[in-house]
Amino acid sequence: MIGTALAGCGALLVAIGTFGIVRFRDVYSRLQASGVSDNAGLTVVLLGLILYEGWAPIDWMLLFLLVLMLATNPIATHSIAKSAFVQRHTGEDSS
Amino acid sequence: MSIVEGVLLASIVPLLFILARGPTAWDRLLAYNSAANRVAAVLAISAVLSQQPVLLDVAIVYAALSFIGVVALARFMERGEGFR
Repeated sequence: MIGTALAGCGALLVAIGTFGIVRFRDVYSRLQASGVSDNAGLTVVLLGLILYEGWAPIDWMLLFLLVLMLATNPIATHSIAKSAFVQRHTGEDSS
Repeated sequence: MSIVEGVLLASIVPLLFILARGPTAWDRLLAYNSAANRVAAVLAISAVLSQQPVLLDVAIVYAALSFIGVVALARFMERGEGFR
């Protein structure tokens, strides 16, 4: 029950983040919406999934996927932001 | 829980729209990153709902490979060889 509620809250966060990605104009604004919604929403969805299942051997793999997402998602977001920033300030034409 | 899976699957569709139309290349990369994370989450939900742990292995490998691809593409476009 509480797992379903947590996963529903995560799905709501992900839906709001998708709306932000579609609505925003700039690359950095989209990065902010994408990073926040993916980290928070998918973390809450996976936590709800762990609580939904109860004690099962599949929980450790879900926890590993959660730790992997928490470790790699900020690195990917930061890498895209640094790439856009460096290319905008050192490229020939500033779009 | 299947409603959550449906919401996550439906939230991939606007990201595909951004992926096709995005003004710069970084918008497309961002949309690909978000869509790959959501696909991994959908695979995890499907693994729990259908009681098949193999799908969870697929989700872990998919998340790791999409991370490596996104970081490599971002580093590649940082040096100025990206498409505008």
